[in-house]
Amino acid sequence: LVHLDDVSALTPESARALWLSHEASTHSLSQQLTESLRLILAPTLATKLRGDFRTGKRLNLKRIIPYIASSYKRDKIWLRRSLPSKRSYQVMIALDDSKSMAESGASNLALKTLTLVARSMAMLEVGEVAVTGFGDTINVAHDFDKPFTSEAGVRVFEQFGFDQQKTDVRGLVHKSLDLFAEARRKGSSSAGEDLWQLMLIVSDGICDSHADIQRLVRRAQEERVMIVFVIIDSSAGAPAAASAPANGSEGVAEAEKEKKGIMDLQSVEISPEGKVVRWKYMERFPFRYFLVVRDVRELPGVLSGALRQWFGEVVGSV
Amino acid sequence: MDSKPEVKVPVRLSTRDPSIQLEQEPGPLLVQTTLRRPQLSALVNSLLRPDDKPIPFDILINGQFLRTTIDEFLTNNGISAETTLDVEYTRALIPPLNVTSF
Ligand SMILES: [Mg+2]
Repeated sequence: LVHLDDVSALTPESARALWLSHEASTHSLSQQLTESLRLILAPTLATKLRGDFRTGKRLNLKRIIPYIASSYKRDKIWLRRSLPSKRSYQVMIALDDSKSMAESGASNLALKTLTLVARSMAMLEVGEVAVTGFGDTINVAHDFDKPFTSEAGVRVFEQFGFDQQKTDVRGLVHKSLDLFAEARRKGSSSAGEDLWQLMLIVSDGICDSHADIQRLVRRAQEERVMIVFVIIDSSAGAPAAASAPANGSEGVAEAEKEKKGIMDLQSVEISPEGKVVRWKYMERFPFRYFLVVRDVRELPGVLSGALRQWFGEVVGSV
Repeated sequence: MDSKPEVKVPVRLSTRDPSIQLEQEPGPLLVQTTLRRPQLSALVNSLLRPDDKPIPFDILINGQFLRTTIDEFLTNNGISAETTLDVEYTRALIPPLNVTSF
């Protein structure tokens, strides 16, 4: 019994057609997200005074005493206004290429999300954008050091088939931290400590090895890589109704019987003796920052709102 | 880091027997792939009649009786844990093996 691959990677022609169609349909949403992100990122791009130099704009008071104590030898006592770096951010979009994405009907919305976010980041000119695909294996679909053009988008689409037989999120985070470390080394000459690294995982959210993932998420935090998990929840609600109220009538309840979203998904642990423990899957989701997207139109608002809050947290903690 | 990864698979429970229908459709449930029939039977009991004496159920996945672990079933049938499984339960017709030793 061989499982036939009825879904294979997109052909170059269909990849191009799909990319162009998603690019067109999400164009105004991309602009909306770009504008919101510009507002969020603008203050952090502003110039700062920093030391330590032999000449400069303003004295660094902390250096004065050591300067005198060293008989005026340690003379790097000046602050300079550093130039804002254009390469201050590295954003990786990791797209779930596993079969569950196709089965749940999340793949198309996921590709749209990828298009929207990648185009926004490119328009923003915040820095570098990379795209990885994950499932059984981890694939770098687009490298940090290449510009993310429309042509690059087409190349990326060609590498997704949503037919991988596993969802190795643990492997993804592990590999991505290495990729981020490498990208940081390469970009360090211009950006230095002000380099911000953000990883957006776009997935249906179903993954195993939660304990290991939690450890990796902590490591990411230590390495100042922010991970935001964007859950594509195509299983919940009808696609046409973007914001149906939850307190629906009998009819709605009936319609939703078949379609339960990720927030209702239950995880079960059964001991060999048959002791059953059940809990809501999302209550123990291993990622600290996640958002649930059911319609691509929600994305600019939800994502920028979340990033504003989380960037704020990070800035506040430094 | 290298603890054995526990794989879970989404299952959707159903039955054709109106007398053992679940009152509330629980939606897909994520279960360990190491489970066998008795544990899945216990799961159905916990949803159907949590306070009563459990009754044994037979389990069918995609129309086939489950005689192995879910994991082995998936491997033997070329299915991955990425697919939501249709799990049907019926009242067990044959008494479970190894129950009587006298
Ligand atoms: Mg999956």
